[in-house]
Amino acid sequence: MKNFLHRVGQLFQTKKQTTVPFKLIFTDFKKILNLNNQILDLIADANDKLSGDYIFDEHYIHTTCHQLTDLVRELIVLINHLTQQKYSDLYNSFHHIEEKIQAILQGDVLCPVTDFILPYSSITRDLIDAVGGKNANLAEIGFVLGFSIPDGFAITTAAFSSFWLENNLEEKVSAIIEQWQEKTIAVEEMACKIQQLIFDSTVPAKLEKEILDAAGSLTKGKQDTIPCFAVRSSAQGEDGVSSFAGQYRSCLNIPLKNLPQAYKEVVASLYSPEAMEYRLRKDFRSNEIKMSVACQLMIPAKTSGVMYSYDPVLPEEETLIISSAWGLGEPIMSGKVSTDLFVLNRQPPHEVKEVQVVRKERSMVLHGSGGIGMESVREEQQTQPSLKKQQLKMLAEIGLQLEKYFKKPQDVEFAIDQQDRIIVLQSRQLSLQQEQRPRASDLTDLGGKYPVLMQGRGIAAMKGIASGPAWVLDHDSNLQDFPMGAILVARYASPQLARVIHKASGFITDIGSTTGHLATVAREFRVPALFNTENAISLLKHGQEITLDTESLTVYEGIVHELHYYSFHEEPIEEMYEYRLLRRILKKIEPLNLFDPNDDNFTPQGCRTYHDLTRFVHEKAVETIIDLNFYHAHHRDTQAGQLVWDYPLDLILIDVGGGIEGEHDKGIRPEQISSIPMQTLLHGMSHPGIWDMSPMKVDFGSFMSSLTRTPPTGNSSPEDVGRNLAVISAEYTNINFRLGYHYTVIDAYLSDNILDNHIYFRFSGGVTDTTRRSRRTSLLNKILSHYDFLCEQHGDIIVARLKRMNKESMLKRLFLLGLLIGFTRQLDVKMVSDAKIPVYFEQIKTIMEKSHGN
Amino acid sequence: MATEQTTILILDDEPIVSKRLKPSLEKKGYEVETFTCSSDALKRVKERQFNIVITDLKMEGVDGMQFLTEVKEKYPDTEVIVITGFATMATAKESFNKGVFDFLAKPFKLGEIAEVISRAEEKIKNK
Repeated sequence: MKNFLHRVGQLFQTKKQTTVPFKLIFTDFKKILNLNNQILDLIADANDKLSGDYIFDEHYIHTTCHQLTDLVRELIVLINHLTQQKYSDLYNSFHHIEEKIQAILQGDVLCPVTDFILPYSSITRDLIDAVGGKNANLAEIGFVLGFSIPDGFAITTAAFSSFWLENNLEEKVSAIIEQWQEKTIAVEEMACKIQQLIFDSTVPAKLEKEILDAAGSLTKGKQDTIPCFAVRSSAQGEDGVSSFAGQYRSCLNIPLKNLPQAYKEVVASLYSPEAMEYRLRKDFRSNEIKMSVACQLMIPAKTSGVMYSYDPVLPEEETLIISSAWGLGEPIMSGKVSTDLFVLNRQPPHEVKEVQVVRKERSMVLHGSGGIGMESVREEQQTQPSLKKQQLKMLAEIGLQLEKYFKKPQDVEFAIDQQDRIIVLQSRQLSLQQEQRPRASDLTDLGGKYPVLMQGRGIAAMKGIASGPAWVLDHDSNLQDFPMGAILVARYASPQLARVIHKASGFITDIGSTTGHLATVAREFRVPALFNTENAISLLKHGQEITLDTESLTVYEGIVHELHYYSFHEEPIEEMYEYRLLRRILKKIEPLNLFDPNDDNFTPQGCRTYHDLTRFVHEKAVETIIDLNFYHAHHRDTQAGQLVWDYPLDLILIDVGGGIEGEHDKGIRPEQISSIPMQTLLHGMSHPGIWDMSPMKVDFGSFMSSLTRTPPTGNSSPEDVGRNLAVISAEYTNINFRLGYHYTVIDAYLSDNILDNHIYFRFSGGVTDTTRRSRRTSLLNKILSHYDFLCEQHGDIIVARLKRMNKESMLKRLFLLGLLIGFTRQLDVKMVSDAKIPVYFEQIKTIMEKSHGN
Repeated sequence: MATEQTTILILDDEPIVSKRLKPSLEKKGYEVETFTCSSDALKRVKERQFNIVITDLKMEGVDGMQFLTEVKEKYPDTEVIVITGFATMATAKESFNKGVFDFLAKPFKLGEIAEVISRAEEKIKNK
């Protein structure tokens, strides 16, 4: 590329020089395009690392961040160079983001929100750093999986930080820890001192008020009893790890006015000796430790209990265990009352294999006047089972869904309320006490025990093990019928499949990319996914029981228990430090908040991530080139004009040497274009039927044309126009198109010297419907690869490259790109089903054969 | 050789590398030992030979290049695979000169290293 820029430079040197020659401006512009591409590729690749298929370390995260930071900084320098410092505010936004990234790299957990209180209904997994594992899990159980959970809210890590700061605890706690590190005090003494410090601190007034207000609003409309609250810990990284869960304190049956005190008690438990030791073992960095707290309305339970999704002592029995008793859960968890025991088969329909009903003489109840107490159970109730058969079955279903979702056997606390509803209070990882911990070497001969249906095919979009019946999606099947726990087998990894993400145990597709939308969703929901297997759909039978292991790219017939047991002992990759770190970092890099240049937030101040900055600069760079060369005095070494054409493509052409012939005061007609690559592209775009194969929907069509039409020149500012720009010369074309929300970049050079010839094509979608977007990407990939382009997909960006072909072959392929641009303009509208992909592929091939032979 | 388990030593000072590689390779039937400290690894190779050694280059203490040099001197038959996040032409060249089997830049895919290992195994079998 450097070599080529040099050549372009030489080309321009024959022209008269002006104060800032266009060749310099254009060199900046090309650098910006180049940086833009590099940044987007790095971001997409970093996301791909979360699939679990890569081995990466902290060094990689640091290097990637530094690379990105350097590239983005360079981008901002260049745009300001190009525009005489018009966008110097970008430096502020950039430094702001960079500082946050640096802080995260150093291990700080930045609270993603500044609220002190977040109600469960507003919590998503993205907020886990703010609300902690327990709150996030519970909110997901309620609002993602749809089970009943207690009314409640999280007191966030922002609240914790405020409490810490206002009481100057950082310094005081560090001083005590130092004493321990210097071995002047023992671990118990250190814990005791820190905890006392916390008890003696004051909850900031603002926080106290918000806690009391939030708790007060939970009690509205509940007059039957004086409501009490459960206050529990929800620390960072506490979710799902049973050995950790017990370390922190829970305060039960707390009246409203005592909530601030209970908050301090729970926070203090962060510094129990056990918890501190545990964190050291698990490699938690000290600045990762920020506690969020859960505050929940107590459930006046009829029955409470615990469910284990596996028998922890005899997991190979494949049973699920439930123990329960009358009343509130506290005496059950602490073993103060005897409980009924039910053993159920894990397989549906969950037949009850064993029942032990004991005499339950006493139970804990909430008093109408507030508070709690132990009461005698009515005589006739004492020997009755505390759960009904139907409830047992429902509990089993809940348990297995939680296990599938959280990828480990689960220990679930539940309550049955006065309306007989099952309320999930908490779900955490259950440790299995297998006599012999399964060894990886036991797994080497699985192929001998279970028939291998497929091996070595495809790429892992999400690592993991899944078992269940194969559910093959064909033209007649309806995703709505997809059964719980099945493995979806489909032709394409189309984003619409994400609809069954809560039900599916796994995904297998013939075609699909690990950076596509479905891959991202599979990672988010931790559902094992294997894409690009080419022919899974013909190898796997509908309804057949299968086990998918995406790490070894293998599909076995039957349920391979060995793999599941083994995976229960593996540390989920999502919970490793490097993964946590990369996820946190990407939140400051990847999300795109700037979409439409006409939106109010499309400003330097509106940029909240590196992706935003990159998007902003690219948009403004194109705008600037158009502005400099078309709307204002032209550079003397260039000619510029607007294309006058029969199609609604508003294109500004800038000729840097031999690209345009004749007078063009009233615009440039296609026949005046002497740039060979540009001519060929227009030829393709205007091929009969391509631009407008059938009428588009009126609404969408007008939406599109509003974005691609330039208002008459003279009274317009560049901010209003479609930003379509082509810089051309006799042998060269560089195009930046925005059609609707698609971005197309083409850079082509063709001459008689084969070694210099190249075509670069980059196509990306914007904010349109992801399903159709992914179909479009699949189609483009198929066509371009067929015509010898080297294609790479990064998310929904497709990059195709071609080099060193003779002029004739290059022209044929530029014509193809012309066809595709004309065609993709409507593709989003037309890609109504996967079946359209081969149809359009054939159509394009036919046109190519007719116009160019084979 | 054909029936015996192939032995692999992994040395990388970033624990996540061993943590991810060990189970993955054990599932494929390899016997795997992992180290995060190069002097421990060096001690271990003095006690026994491994068929394959996978090592990072840049580490505290004894660095990877020195480690692999000693391994190759003591056991010319052991195949060494270098994994590194600081891939430069110079280091790649130097390691090939020392008789390294292959060179893999981090991050890499599990499948990629598995493929390199099986090629190394193939070479050992054909000796």
